[in-house]
Formats: sequence, structure tokens, C-alpha cells
Amino acid sequence: MARTYLFIPGNVPRMLQNADVFEADALIIDLEDAIATYEKDEARELTAQFLRAHRPQGVEVYVRINAEEPLFSKDMKALAPLEIDGVVLPKTTLSSLKAYEAYQDQFDAKLPLIGLIETPEAFFELLQIAKFSLVKGLILGAEDLSAATGMHRDENGQELLFCRSKLLLAAKAAGIRAIDTPWTTLEEASLSLDIQSAKRLGFDGKCAIHPNQVPSINDAFFPTEEELRKARRIVKRHEETNSMRFSLDGKMVDKPVVEKAKALLESAEAYRFKRGKGQ
Amino acid sequence: MGKSYVAGTLESSDCLITLSPADKLKIEIDTVVHEAFYDHIKTLIEKTLAEESLENVRLRCQDQGALDYTIKARLKTAILKYKESEDG
Amino acid sequence: MKHERLGELLDGLDLRDGMCVSFHHHLRNGDKTLNLVMQALHERGLKELHLMASALFPVHKPILPLIKDGTIADITTNYMNGPIAECLSNHGLKGSLTMQTHGGRARSIVEGDNVIDVAFIAAPAVDKAKNASGVHGKNACGSLGYAIEDSLYAKRKVLVTDNLVDTLEDPQIQGDAIDDVLLVKTLGDAEGIMSGTLKITKDPLGLKIAREALRLLQALDVFEDGVSFQSGAGGISLAITKGFNDIMRERGLKASFYSGGITRYHVDALEGGLVDKLYDVQCFDDAAIESLKKNANHHAISASNYANPNNANRVIKDLDVVILGASEIDTDFNVNVTTDSYGTIIGGSGGHSDTAEDAKLSVIVSPLLKARTPLIRERVRTITTPGKHIDCLITERGIAINPKRRDLLEKLKDTRLPLFSIEELMAKAHAFTGKPKVSHPGDKIGVVESRHGSTLDNLYKKGD
Repeated sequence: MARTYLFIPGNVPRMLQNADVFEADALIIDLEDAIATYEKDEARELTAQFLRAHRPQGVEVYVRINAEEPLFSKDMKALAPLEIDGVVLPKTTLSSLKAYEAYQDQFDAKLPLIGLIETPEAFFELLQIAKFSLVKGLILGAEDLSAATGMHRDENGQELLFCRSKLLLAAKAAGIRAIDTPWTTLEEASLSLDIQSAKRLGFDGKCAIHPNQVPSINDAFFPTEEELRKARRIVKRHEETNSMRFSLDGKMVDKPVVEKAKALLESAEAYRFKRGKGQ
Repeated sequence: MGKSYVAGTLESSDCLITLSPADKLKIEIDTVVHEAFYDHIKTLIEKTLAEESLENVRLRCQDQGALDYTIKARLKTAILKYKESEDG
Repeated sequence: MKHERLGELLDGLDLRDGMCVSFHHHLRNGDKTLNLVMQALHERGLKELHLMASALFPVHKPILPLIKDGTIADITTNYMNGPIAECLSNHGLKGSLTMQTHGGRARSIVEGDNVIDVAFIAAPAVDKAKNASGVHGKNACGSLGYAIEDSLYAKRKVLVTDNLVDTLEDPQIQGDAIDDVLLVKTLGDAEGIMSGTLKITKDPLGLKIAREALRLLQALDVFEDGVSFQSGAGGISLAITKGFNDIMRERGLKASFYSGGITRYHVDALEGGLVDKLYDVQCFDDAAIESLKKNANHHAISASNYANPNNANRVIKDLDVVILGASEIDTDFNVNVTTDSYGTIIGGSGGHSDTAEDAKLSVIVSPLLKARTPLIRERVRTITTPGKHIDCLITERGIAINPKRRDLLEKLKDTRLPLFSIEELMAKAHAFTGKPKVSHPGDKIGVVESRHGSTLDNLYKKGD
């Protein structure tokens, strides 16, 4: 499962054609906030030509589209023939999801989406959004949310705790990905604090708004040596006993714990050589 | 003098395409990879213009090392703007 | 003899047509000495001079007319960029251009392949006994490493300075070898002398390449007590030096020496106890100059003690790892840092091929794509460093190991690093750029000389 979701502006060739080398597990090519109104046509065309000619390999690719017409239809039409893992839908609400589904139904399409949760309204229908059929993950959009609520963010994330927790629980209840909001400065110390808040709560990954944020996020969401050691012991005991229920160090281990340990080891293997210093 | 229609930028790996109405087809290419790719870029532009059946235009391409997909995208956007305005 | 007027100094020299005059590049793009002296020689009507400058920079543009009118017939240098490089690439020169290495220049002077009639050595501080140092004065530049052999072997040695002092306690050039001292108003332009505050690249592509380089060095187990390391002053190189320091610190290791051009990141390692010694041929920033003044284990060394292949005590013969750049590299791992792919001179070996030949592990770091220009070619336009001395290539899209280094490939056989053949990397680049047109060289203008003195490759005009 992807740890780092890197935003790439859809109108900058230099960023697009190098997007796959920054070691993010997923890319979100942005046609929305990163693009000025008068550049929307340029960005859509460039992104489409890029994905047709050089679809990045070994990385998930999403496109953040514009939610409002007429741009929504133009974006969706341009993306239809392309090989992408889904779209990121800004300001996702239950009604915007229904509109998205209705548009897809016209063409008999089923392009998945990641919901960007960044309006107060969305928090009152979060579980329904998370359980909506085409939704494969939720991203917390704290910047737009701050603008809408008057919330003031800092690196300790106290003010965000409720929103993070609520989004996380809805995503976990629906069995989809919980993806944390980007941190908007490049300064290492505050980025690191912000990452740790999300990691402790149980988020699966986090957005990056600059390639230089990727190594820190990759590292933070890479299991620690202790987590790995414990997971290896659990899987080993499971294989020895051929059982999903046993005790280890005096604690009971059951099926979800075994499966979590297996998933942890698999992702660690997959990401072993995409870490900050590559140790 | 007719209006001109622009797409792209002068940043590295991008190109700036400027289209304007003219009596006959005229293509000017100014590229940082002249030695390596001038002929290739010229062919690409001619082909794209032919596909879009655009003949009486003056086209200027200021290229900062753009790859083909970028040149094509910038051309198509400039052509789209041109057609929306000049044909409409 | 001490002179306060250039004319008076020149009156006392045996000036002849065709003579060889030498200069040094430790003042880099702030140097005023070369222009001053060459202009005076021109005014005296001298012809067909051999200009032996360790490097030429944009600041030396005023001597262009002297190249065009034949005042300067031959040029021997280790590096050049700017208007002179462009002019030579387009029009050539009356005689011939020889591009040497730092070690090769020192060797050719020591062994008499190049006989220097007069060496003009810009010196930021000179004392009454004609000793010279680079660390004092308003135009301090640090190490005078590249001028030491000239100060010993030229027929006539002239120090040019704007800073006379009573005594220097730590001279880099010994006064007993010096014939004349010329006092001028100013030696150079301090802003052009120092590279300013050098910074690690913020470019995410450069940082990716640096991360990949550090991963490779770890996979090859180079981190151990006593390791020696050299890396340049470019943004990617600095990021690697800093990362190298971090890993040494984390593991509680200490290196034996860092060599070459020295920066604050090298000084950090010395002062942080991560390395025993710095061997410095050139200071790249103020932190390096300050360190040279105060740290006993920071040694200024001559070009010969740095890289002369026939000097058994040269520092780099014990070098474990060197990180180098490339303007192009071919499928035989030949590296070009002298010209671009179409023949315009953009640099030169400097210490590139010296260190690549001597170091146990030579690593090239460079973006695979610079906009639409692919790094890897079937054949480089100019060979600066032969492929047999290059071990690894690191790009943002993968790593290639020279197949001659079976030992490295064996060591890496279980790695998950992105290893490819160099042909595969070239194909990856071409998938983005398309195949670039091959260049057709014009007339021959000179040669690239190996550090041992043999011809490595020819230099040609740009052609079409």
C-alpha cells in the first residue's frame, strides 16, 4: 500500500517527466489548485499527452481533477482513454460523489476515486462517503479546511486531532485507505512532527507537496526495526503452529494480528530500497 | 496584423508556441537542442499542423529542450485557442 | 627583486617571441593577473607566445584579441569555460591547444616536457623573504597548490601580490626559489575568487542521485575506519559529502583523509572528528580558508603531491572513493567533461582523470536527462577520462557498473539497487528524448593529453 502521495503540477513538463524518480509510491497529478484558470486547457492537454507517451511505471498514478463544470467534464473526457489508478475528487461530499457516479454511468465506466475531505460538510457524512462504491481512499485536506473553518494549523496538530481521528475511523470502518494531509513547508523539523502525528493515529500514508518531502514520509511510514522483528516472530510462530491463534510473550495473537504482521513484512520488502538513506 | 495565440512557457524542458494568421505557412524554430533535434522537431510540428489541417499560419516555437509530448501538447493547445477564436 | 611597476619588471626579463609563460587559477573568475601581464606582453609586440594557464575563465575574455592576432599561438590548460572556450571551439588558434590534467600538468613541468620561461604567480600575501601564502590578505584564496611546481621549476619565477607583509609563518611557496616580486594595486576581485557560500543542491533530481550514490557506497561496504574520499564542489557532490559525513558519524567511524577541492562540508568532517586529514589543492569557500589557517591537520598540497602520476607520494594513490561528474559518457564508460556533444569546450579534466585512474572506486554522478539532452551516447565527442578507469555511473533512473569490475557486480548480486547495463540506461534515456543526431567534427585544433603525457583524444572545431 502506498505511503507517499506526491502532488505534481500538471502544467510543468520538468516535474511531470521526472515524477517517477522521486521515490513516491503514488503520484497525484494536479489539474486543480496548482493550475491558474487560464492554464487549465494547457495543463489538461499536457497531462494527457504525457500519460499517453510516458505513463510512469512502478508507481500509482492519480489525477486531481476540477470538481466544477465545465472543467469537470473536460477533465474526465481527457482522462477516459488513459491508464490511471483513479482520480482525486476535490471537496468530496455525498452529493458530489453521486454526480461523479452519474457521469461515470453515462459511459459505463468505473474509474475509482480518492475523496479529498476538505469541507466542514463532509465530516457529517464521512462514513457514507467512505463506504461509497468507487471510493478507494480518503485524503484529509487540512489547508482548505483551515480556510473554511478558521482553524489555525501548527506542527503539533492539536487542532487537527478530531478531524484526523474521524477521517481515520471512517476509512478504517470502510476498509479503505486513510491518507494524511500535506504539510506545507519544507522545513524538516516541523514536517517530521506533522508526519509523526499522522503515523501515531494509524494513517496509511501522507501527501507530499514537494519531492524533497518524500524521503521523510517514506522513512516514517517504513516499519521500525522493532516492528519488523516482532512481525517476523509472529509470522514465524504462525507458520510453525499452523494456527491463527496462539500466545507469544504471554500475549494472545489472533487472525487480524497475524495478517497485519504479514502485510507489514510485504510492504517492508517492497519499499526496502526506497528509503531516505537506503540502509 | 492578426492576433497571436500562445501556449507553453520558456522554462527548462518546456516550449512556447506562438500561432498567428498569415498568408502562407511559416515555421520558425529556436531550440537549445538545435544540433541534436532541429530536424526532428520541424517534422513533428509539420505533421501536427497537417493533422489539424492548419495552413495559413505563422508558427514560432521557442524550445527549451521539451520532449515530443510537450511540443505536441503545446501545439494542440495553441491550435485549439486559434481555432476557437479565428474560425468562430 | 621587488618591483612596483610591471614595465620595470618586464624590462629585466629575457622576453622573446615564442616563450612560455604560466599562470594559475586559484583566483578563479576573480583573477586579474593574467590579463594584466598578457596585455603588457602584447604591447611589447611579442608574438607566438605559449600560454600555460592551469585554467581559463570568463574573466579572461580580454585576451581574445591576442589569440586572434597570434600574440598567443599555443595554449596549454587543464580547464576552460566562457568566451575563450567558445572562440577556440569555433575558430581554433594559430598553434595548438593542449588540455592537460592537474596531475599531468605538474608531471610535465617537473619532468621538463614543458619548460616555463616565466611563471607569474598571483599571491595574496608575500613577505620580505619572498615567501608566499594564499590564506592572508583581502584576496585570500586558500591553497596555492596549482602554482607550487611553477614556483620551483620555471626558469624565472615572479610573485604578483597586492599585500606585502613582514613575515609569513606558514608560507606555501618558499622565497628562496623566487626571483621577483611585483606589487600591484589589486590582484583580483574577491567576489569572483570565492565561489561564495556553497550550498547543497535543493534540486530533487540532484538529491535523488545523491541518495542513490550513498546507497551504492553502503552496498559496496566502503564505510569503514580509514576510508579516504574525494568529491567536488558541485551541488550533488556536496550533498554526497554531507551524507557521507552523516553515515560516518552514525556508525562511529573515522576516515583517513578527504582530498581535492575543499569546502565547509569537508571542514565540518575534520572539526567533527570524522576524518584525520584534509589534503587541499584548492579552497572553494571561506570556511576552507579559515580552516587552512587554524587546523593543523588541514594541509595545503602541491599539484604534484596531489596527482602527479610519477610522484610516488601523491595523495590520490591512496584514494578509496572519488565522486565525479560527466557532460557525457559512452557505452564503454569513456567520460567527457571537456566538450559538449557537439564540440564546444565547456571545461576540462582538472583532476577528473587523475583521480579516476588512481582511486579504487570511481563513481560518476549525473542526471540521465538534462532537459532533452541524454547523458549516455554510443561514443563521446571527446574522451577526457578513459572508460577503463570508470567503475560506476549513477543517474536518477538507475545505476550502471562497468562490466570490467566483476568484483563489484559480484558484491552487488543480491542487492535491490536499480542496476542496469549502460546500454539499458541509454535506451531508457532515448525513450524520452529520441536519438540525438551524431556530430561531425571540423578541423583539428588540439589534443587532450593523458596525465602520463600521451595523446588521449583530439580536439576539433565544432563542425556541423
